[in-house]
Amino acid sequence: MTAYAIRRVLWLIPVLWAVATITFFLMHAVPGGPFTQDKPLPEAIVVALNRRYNLDEPLWKQYLLYLWNLLHGDLGLSFRGDRDVAMLIRDGFFVTAQLGILAFLTASVFGLALGVLSALNQNGPLDYLGVFVATIGAALPNFILATFLIVIFAVNLGWFQILGWGGPEKVGEILDPSAWDVKKLVLPVVSLSFLPTAYIARVTRASMLEVLRQDYIRTAHAKGLAEQVIIIRHAIKNAMIPVLTLMGPIAAALVTGSFIVENIYSIPGVGRAFVEAVLRRDYAMIMGTTLFYAAIVAVANLVVDLLYAVVDPRVRYH
Amino acid sequence: MQDAELVERAELEGLLTVTRERGLWADAYYRLTRNRLAMAGLVILIVVAGLAAAAANIHAVQRYDPYMDQLYDHIQEAPSWSHFFGTDNLGRDNWARVLAGVSISLQIGIGTQIVVLFIGLMVGTIAALGGRFTDNVMMRLTDITYAFPDLLFIILMRSVLVGRDWPVIDNPKLQIILAIAFVNWTIIARLVRGQMLSLAERDFVLAAKALGASPWRVVVQHMLPNSLGPVIVAVTFGIPIAIFAEAALGFIGFGLPPPTASLGRLVSDGYAYVQVNFWVAVFPAAAVAILMLCFTFVGDGLRDALDPRTR
Amino acid sequence: MRAAKWLLPLGTLVVLLLVAAACGEDEEGTPTATGTPKPGVSPTAEAQAPPEQQEIIVQSAQPEFYDPHRSNFEQDIAIARMLWRGLYQLELTAEGGVQAVPAMAAGEPTVNGNVYTVKLKPGLKWSDGVPLTAKDFEYGIKRECDPAVAGPYQYLFWAGILEIVGCEAYGGALGTADEPKTPTDAELQALRDAVGVKAIDDTTLEVTLAAPKTTFTTVMSLWAAFPARQDVIEQYGDKWTDPGNIVTNGPMILTGLTAGAGGQVVLEPNPNWALEPKPALRKITVKFIDDLEAAFRAFQTGELDITNIPAPEIPTIKADANLSKQFIQVGAGRIWSVEMQMKDEVLSKYEVRLALSRAIDRETLVKVVYNDAYLPATYWMVQGLSGFQGNAAFEDIIGYDPEAAKKALADAGYPNGEGFPTLKITVTDRPDRKAEGEFLQKAWKEVLGIDVEIEAVDAKTRSQTFNSMNFDLFPGGWQIDYPDPENVLIGLFDTGGGNNKYECSDPDIDAKLAAAGTETDNAKRIQDLQEAETLIVTKLCGVAPIWQGAFLYLADSKMGGMKPNGQIDAAMPGNWCPECWFVKAQ
Repeated sequence: MTAYAIRRVLWLIPVLWAVATITFFLMHAVPGGPFTQDKPLPEAIVVALNRRYNLDEPLWKQYLLYLWNLLHGDLGLSFRGDRDVAMLIRDGFFVTAQLGILAFLTASVFGLALGVLSALNQNGPLDYLGVFVATIGAALPNFILATFLIVIFAVNLGWFQILGWGGPEKVGEILDPSAWDVKKLVLPVVSLSFLPTAYIARVTRASMLEVLRQDYIRTAHAKGLAEQVIIIRHAIKNAMIPVLTLMGPIAAALVTGSFIVENIYSIPGVGRAFVEAVLRRDYAMIMGTTLFYAAIVAVANLVVDLLYAVVDPRVRYH
Repeated sequence: MQDAELVERAELEGLLTVTRERGLWADAYYRLTRNRLAMAGLVILIVVAGLAAAAANIHAVQRYDPYMDQLYDHIQEAPSWSHFFGTDNLGRDNWARVLAGVSISLQIGIGTQIVVLFIGLMVGTIAALGGRFTDNVMMRLTDITYAFPDLLFIILMRSVLVGRDWPVIDNPKLQIILAIAFVNWTIIARLVRGQMLSLAERDFVLAAKALGASPWRVVVQHMLPNSLGPVIVAVTFGIPIAIFAEAALGFIGFGLPPPTASLGRLVSDGYAYVQVNFWVAVFPAAAVAILMLCFTFVGDGLRDALDPRTR
Repeated sequence: MRAAKWLLPLGTLVVLLLVAAACGEDEEGTPTATGTPKPGVSPTAEAQAPPEQQEIIVQSAQPEFYDPHRSNFEQDIAIARMLWRGLYQLELTAEGGVQAVPAMAAGEPTVNGNVYTVKLKPGLKWSDGVPLTAKDFEYGIKRECDPAVAGPYQYLFWAGILEIVGCEAYGGALGTADEPKTPTDAELQALRDAVGVKAIDDTTLEVTLAAPKTTFTTVMSLWAAFPARQDVIEQYGDKWTDPGNIVTNGPMILTGLTAGAGGQVVLEPNPNWALEPKPALRKITVKFIDDLEAAFRAFQTGELDITNIPAPEIPTIKADANLSKQFIQVGAGRIWSVEMQMKDEVLSKYEVRLALSRAIDRETLVKVVYNDAYLPATYWMVQGLSGFQGNAAFEDIIGYDPEAAKKALADAGYPNGEGFPTLKITVTDRPDRKAEGEFLQKAWKEVLGIDVEIEAVDAKTRSQTFNSMNFDLFPGGWQIDYPDPENVLIGLFDTGGGNNKYECSDPDIDAKLAAAGTETDNAKRIQDLQEAETLIVTKLCGVAPIWQGAFLYLADSKMGGMKPNGQIDAAMPGNWCPECWFVKAQ
């Protein structure tokens, strides 16, 4: 197993290299460049701009230059304002991570609670409510949900605010209470967490129901243990196992899927910067964010695979 | 004769239940049909799809052309008898557009999964049975595809393909189906591979091999059918995911070209007008929700029906 | 400027309220469809709120650069206008036209043949206290022409607009794409020294043009001619526009910046601002929001004081008692049309183009697709420019007339659309542009019986399609760079013109435009341009105009002192005088 794990880690490098290469050439195959606009720039200016950013070199040369810089930790400059890509990603990710983590926690807490309560109250009113919420959350696209939330709770009721991120924008500000504005945090986090909450609730409910049917629960009852003790100490713990395997993909999805929420609430995160980079043909930024995401997903993938092997003994890696 | 009578009496007195012998699929079918939620989902799906198909062909059902009937005097209207779902920003009937959208979304959802199934089965089987090196290569291929940010790949693919007059790939619907399928096949591939890997050690496979069955026969006749269970479930769940993906693409501007409107495009266009006339967004969103739910229930039902552990 | 420069070509800063305040009318932002301006309101005519309330938050699309010589998009230029001030400044005249008045300059330039001499006002300073000299203007203009800087607007100083001697040669030093050159440092320095801008002494600037032009002061008020501090730029390099490093000479300075999508800039008054009035606002926060729907909702929650709004929301706004009072609509210097590729076999026929143009019901289009935000137009030179001719001149010739359209198509050889090929119309993937495409598709089908296919792509792909001249029908247009009619014609319709991507090529038009380019008598020049416009529109040479744009804003009723920019550069009107803005006493 260890040998396998090490090999998988080493394989990350060629995988990321492949992603970088495919992205690079695909990116240049897309029509239009960073300086393409409806009112075309005079040729001399385009020549000067291309010279400035080395875009007039043959493609293979640009590719090698990029790889060379990459190995030295230099992700290049964004065409938009000549800002350092690494810095932009770092700053953007700081915000996206906050959003993702908060959404993850919210989804976990509410999803679990909802699922457990539903299961305990099976076919009762609480169960129907839980199932209803879970299904709505899973069935509505999050931008529609977000829009309705905004119109009802922010515009009409005025309870929350919808512009920007309500958390610290620099790492040093985390502990500074004035950097946190709850009114701005609520709606984006809720919008992003609805779908995972729904899934977690459903899986938890199904899992709990199955666990509650098990013999060892019956034994515990027979032994005369208090209901709460049974639930907490035996049922929930065992019900969590399938839920845990769900958490991995959910976490990855939250981080990578926050683009729409970031767009709607004007949150300066990396998801939004990424799509904008594609639309603007901001090559260095596209490469940087793609590699960044690819790295996160590949590592998360690896971790889940290893966990899978630990959990299911039938899976044998050779 | 006597035994039969005895058995019958015992049955009547609830002392003995005789389960009929069924094959895997028949058994699954039996269990599926007993699942009320799944059946409800299936029925609703059939009704909705039927309605969409009817609208495409019968004018009385569709009532207005979803693209060309732009009634400029009836813009952004709420639902009424003349317009069941109201009208949109160009005075087009929402009912007709939602039904057209259902049809398109279903095509995209199902089309995507067909491609996904094909690629996934191929890659997964080759990986599982091709030996260690092939497995490695296939799995790295899967890793690369999986690591690739979906959105980027789809946008790039669409941007590269759009506007070119290439023969087959010219069709935007096909482009979207391929684009979404290309980023989603990895799940099926891994599933198939996992199934195959664990099946490969099972007794009946070893037995078949021992009896001298050719590898091809072993795979097709013995392993594939037994691994299809979770695959079918995954494919079923994949349909609403594909519909969602297309909606998200439409939201950022990479969906189907106008005037064709998939449900996703209708929803995202409705977002722009939601404070003026929220009905425009509500109905397609509800349609997406209904399709999503139905497929989920059916998928759940299939999983319960096919899962050997819950017998 | 070409429309659709960025995803939201309208997205930038806000316009202003009509200054009706000073004239005692209802001050709460009466919507004006054509932007009749009331110039020059003294901000002290109204009571201002106490200093701690003099802070506002405005919406803008996200800028790229805070460097005026690298600024390309409207939103960049808008912010540059608040941070810097040029030799001259544009102002509205009483008649609704625009004129350039001295800002940093002491007065009008003295003209001696091709040489324009400008004297600076005494006692001007940069924001860090260092005196502002003519050398800074020389450096600024030369910087714009510098190929290493690659300023996108340096063409303002090239042949055809305001040709400064040596600028084009300097800017073109790197050769062309086919024949690149790598000049030595010495060669570059020689080219730079040959540029016709020189500081004679600290307060005198001498500019040598290739030929005298009446547009001198107008172009000198643009951002390409803003001054710059050589020592600051050399010290900080690419980081010179960061807060703390940046030094400006305008009414505001940049004190805070969060880059990236969803970021913002913070502007505060320049303590060394030399002119009057001094800024009343203590802080202007500019938030970058590209999604106008989100911006609109943020305005409603009170998180924005001034914002652009999307056209679909107009009915909601007009229906709301509160919002309708804060709504401003100002005609923009932008004209939109259906551009047609004249090289195409069918589109090269005049009758076909006429048929397409006469089948479009512009009024209904503007009403249905844009909620009456814009003005239906059959003219090309926008309202607000001298020489404006308007719909009266062209409506009957190319305007909506379904019968005439059918007849024209039949005359071209395609009665009822028989045998007519399927054309493609390329639109941006945005709800309003798509709706416009769908509207046109239906109109042509209904009136002419022809099929048109819609291709909806992202902005860059669309621009590429346009630039490579690989299109059939292309809804696009022009947004003026500076308030002179030559800007909407020269370069767009002359054979081989840089912006002439629809291949309009007509010797009569070429002759008129050439004459206008060299004419020194202003009245005659305008007449030449009008005649060119008439030829272009009546012959539908590459374009069929459909509407003139407008800027749509919401400005909180607490805003006061906003002077209209007029229809030019209205991407951020009111920012021509940010020092005039204040928050009214409640």
